[in-house]
Amino acid sequence: MLERAAELLVYESDGLPGYHRTPSLAVFPASADEALAVVRELAREGVPFVPRGAGTGLSGGALADGAVLLGLQRLKRIIDIDPVRRVARVEPGVVNVTLTKAATRHGLHYAPDPSSQTACTLGGNLAENAGGPHCLKYGVTLNHVVAARVALPDGSVVELDGDDGGYDLLGAFVGSEGCFGVALELTVKLTPNPERIVTLLADFSSIDDAAQTVSAIIAAGILPAALEMMDQATVGAVEASIYAAGYPTDAAAVLLVEVDGAAVGLDEDVQGVNRICRAHGARDVRIATEPAARAKLWQGRKKAFGAMGRIAPHLVVQDAVVPRTKLPSLLARIADIGAANGVRVCNVFHAGDGNLHPNIPYNANDRDESARVHVAMRQIMQACIDAGGTITGEHGVGLDKLPYMDALFTPDTLDGMCRLRDVFDPERRANPGKVVPVRYCRERRPGKLMVDGRGQMVDGATAATITAESGA
Amino acid sequence: MTLRPTTVTDLAALITESAAKHRALRLIGRGTWLDGGAPVARDAEPLHLDAFSGVIEYEPGDLTITVGAATTIEELDTVTAAHNQWCPLSPWGADGGSVGATIATATPGPFALVFGLPRDLVLGLECVDGTGKVLRPGGKVVKNVAGFDLVRLMTGSWGSLAAITRISLRLRARPAVDETWLVSLDAVAAARAQEALRRSGTPPIACEVTAAGLLDSASPAGLLVRIAGNAAVVAAARHEVTAAGDARRVDGAAWTQLRANKTQRAPRIPSSAEVRALNAGVQRAFDPARILNPGIMG
Ligand SMILES: Cc1cc2nc3c(=O)[nH]c(=O)nc-3n(C[C@H](O)[C@H](O)[C@H](O)COP(=O)(O)OP(=O)(O)OC[C@H]3O[C@@H](n4cnc5c(N)ncnc54)[C@H](O)[C@@H]3O)c2cc1C
Repeated sequence: MLERAAELLVYESDGLPGYHRTPSLAVFPASADEALAVVRELAREGVPFVPRGAGTGLSGGALADGAVLLGLQRLKRIIDIDPVRRVARVEPGVVNVTLTKAATRHGLHYAPDPSSQTACTLGGNLAENAGGPHCLKYGVTLNHVVAARVALPDGSVVELDGDDGGYDLLGAFVGSEGCFGVALELTVKLTPNPERIVTLLADFSSIDDAAQTVSAIIAAGILPAALEMMDQATVGAVEASIYAAGYPTDAAAVLLVEVDGAAVGLDEDVQGVNRICRAHGARDVRIATEPAARAKLWQGRKKAFGAMGRIAPHLVVQDAVVPRTKLPSLLARIADIGAANGVRVCNVFHAGDGNLHPNIPYNANDRDESARVHVAMRQIMQACIDAGGTITGEHGVGLDKLPYMDALFTPDTLDGMCRLRDVFDPERRANPGKVVPVRYCRERRPGKLMVDGRGQMVDGATAATITAESGA
Repeated sequence: MTLRPTTVTDLAALITESAAKHRALRLIGRGTWLDGGAPVARDAEPLHLDAFSGVIEYEPGDLTITVGAATTIEELDTVTAAHNQWCPLSPWGADGGSVGATIATATPGPFALVFGLPRDLVLGLECVDGTGKVLRPGGKVVKNVAGFDLVRLMTGSWGSLAAITRISLRLRARPAVDETWLVSLDAVAAARAQEALRRSGTPPIACEVTAAGLLDSASPAGLLVRIAGNAAVVAAARHEVTAAGDARRVDGAAWTQLRANKTQRAPRIPSSAEVRALNAGVQRAFDPARILNPGIMG
């Protein structure tokens, strides 16, 4: 348990620099039983709390503003692996890649692979419905969780099982960002390792050509395991860093394409991708089949965020998704917005899914630059919404995307989301103030602590007044 | 008077009024499967949703489609086939059934094992809940974690929380080669071959045990197998299928027949008291007057 200010400082941010909230207390139970006991004690006292895994989240989701931070990373037992049924039972603090390593000897792996997989926890993945490069073919966390044992905020325990009767409460829990309770145990699917994997790197002299290629590959009926894009700014950052992967720095954009599956027939897909890339103006296509060569091509992609950290002290990360056919026009629009605001946008993203990550390295201490970055971010987000997209494909809403929720959803839809939340957590004590702006949760509960629209803890009655005053 | 609203606004008004009057409603899409689920209260008035039908938005390059909920599975297949695409939803049951009912009942089909359950294929929807509120969770893009997941909540809720009016779905490009084979096998051998094929390096996209007489009176019992992909993959898969027993190539329409024959599952009551309590809470939150398909969840 930590309660000294200096120690708590470690937990004032997550993977997204820029937000700082200090918990009142941080507790790190050593077992699921201990975690449950803590949840029950918090329930008795009516204290708000925030579950936290590895704190790699990119939406400010695991920040606890005056609430108790419930750290779960010590719950890191892999309870069992059933190679015949191809499932694993794990505690929530197990690091994503640890499960894949443990499953390797059975020829299996855990498919959702966030780029942060060497650090993030399976509990955090569940709470965010995390994705990753290979989710294009294999699906996101939702598609891989078969059951979860959950401590509800009132201290009761429920087994949410995809095979159980009734409503799909497991589906509702996945992606609930710590607002519905604490996952104490997960059962997840394991996927057979593909017989063969080939990674291709195609470089383009125009970002538009690269974007057109993405749609063309998918439309041709080839489903790559991964289809990632990096623009020149990102490639430049990667190549200037210790993660240099030998990407061509003069390319306007590169596509990293991976195809996998049965050895027989894979060459047909490789040649198909190669042909489509060249037909769309690729200057060169590198084909890597050996593990070391493939790992090198991937390294730059997986470390791209880290590499951007070298450019400037701060970084904003977005996660909007647009329909694939809108990628060319959106990328052009994003470039215009960046230029108009004098900020440097680095695009590195899951192109096959249309899941953009326009990132802007900047210096938060420079007020003028910060202001321009925020204007650019808002404009990019609006452009994605206007194109029929969504504001987040895998990082979650957390605190960071709260301001965009009502641009995307109607008040009644947001109210419906609050009603669902209230079924799991009627007192709104689990991760308060995240995901849905408080003003859309109509029913007020005077006397109970809640977080107002500015992220401050107040009692329910006050929150209602503040909201009314601010005219929201 | 028949209740048959044609706009979502009218539907919302009708449900709001029904909630106030505690008038129970029996939601009807295409009406092909009204005995599905537990019995609905007998005095529930039929509410026809067939006006919410047809393609609303289809951009083939995005591999997504938005349709009215009463659009039939058959129409969905025809429309997407014209662009060499398909939706692997293909549920157990007749093709005249609606997309809305498939999502509402979360009915899977023979392709679910490879391409996902209804919950994995639905991207977003529009619905009117039991309080008369129009909800539009999710979206039309293939990856989306914005907000709490009302899409998954409504999928499989059997019309007991909301009437679904439109649905966005994920599509797939049709494989270059696509073959269906019928392998003649007795029941035990069929089950064994099914397991073996599913675990092979080039697994079929569907593989189901079938009784005799599927295609005509002479067609044998055994396994119906669909292999698809590029030519090389299918060649390898074909080798395994023909090695499994006496196999003959049949028309892909056999799947429509097989699906129509299969009896579907009814909703089950959750196994634990805690989960039952959560279910009751969900019901209270979205249909507090208990007017939508009352009783259908069992
Ligand atoms: C370099 C980098 C790359 C990334 N790449 C990707 C990517 O490719 N795809 C992707 O999806 N994400 C990515 N992320 C974001 C992040 O890693 C994921 O969101 C991850 O799932 C968070 O896991 P965590 O354990 O760090 O969770 P935390 O940050 O600790 O928490 C995230 C949320 O989960 C809740 N939570 C945590 N554990 C539990 C639990 N047991 N029960 C209930 N709620 C819980 C928290 O309250 C919080 O709301 C990346 C992050 C970084 C820094």
